Amino acid sequence: MKIKLELYGASRDFSNKDYLEFYIKEKIEIKDFRKKIIDYLKINFKGNNNFRKIVEASAFCSEDNNIVNNNYKISKDQKIGIIPPIGGG
Amino acid sequence: MLHAKIIDIKKDKIITSKAEEFIKSSTYGASIIFTGTVRNLNDGKEVTGMTYDSHDELVLKSFEEIYKEAGDKLKIIDKAVFIEHIKGYVELGETSIIIATACKHRDLAYVLSRYIIEEIKKRSPIWKKEHYKNEESEWLKGIPINTN
Repeated sequence: MKIKLELYGASRDFSNKDYLEFYIKEKIEIKDFRKKIIDYLKINFKGNNNFRKIVEASAFCSEDNNIVNNNYKISKDQKIGIIPPIGGG
Repeated sequence: MLHAKIIDIKKDKIITSKAEEFIKSSTYGASIIFTGTVRNLNDGKEVTGMTYDSHDELVLKSFEEIYKEAGDKLKIIDKAVFIEHIKGYVELGETSIIIATACKHRDLAYVLSRYIIEEIKKRSPIWKKEHYKNEESEWLKGIPINTN
């Protein structure tokens, strides 16, 4: 399945696009998807430690705009938003 | 009554008179208008501008929740609230957020205004990238959002 990871805030530095795409064979929980993102960053940004910290501190948002926890299962093609630590206003 | 909007700086801007008109259309006697602007110094660095990013749907949802909570938790039932937050690049001194509140009495209007800005800081998915005089830029460290 294809997971389109929509990038916000500091995570926008992960790509020149607004998103990253991941192709995953089986359903996956957010906690494991987080590891996949870190693996991707390790390969593509030579283990950029700041990027890893951003992912570790991020929340995730489902396609229907709900913040989801680590146990949320992704079982079909969908968009997931990464929500790095916030600081607006 | 609530007005909540993300303002894309490429298409629009925050206009204080709109908030004043909204508040005047309510029947409440006490009103406060809070605005946030881009400041010139942060951590000793000279700031020239700020890029705001937001997850629009979640931000608007959070504004609605905060408005509702002001009724449920603070028991401020009778109120008018106008919130607009900018998205995109704004220069030094430009308005990034406006929160106008109106209540029956001034003490509630002050409490409500403060409550809204503090909750936005904690819960609304908005990010800031500062731009400096030396042409460098940096995403500001924020607070991890609560997932429970």
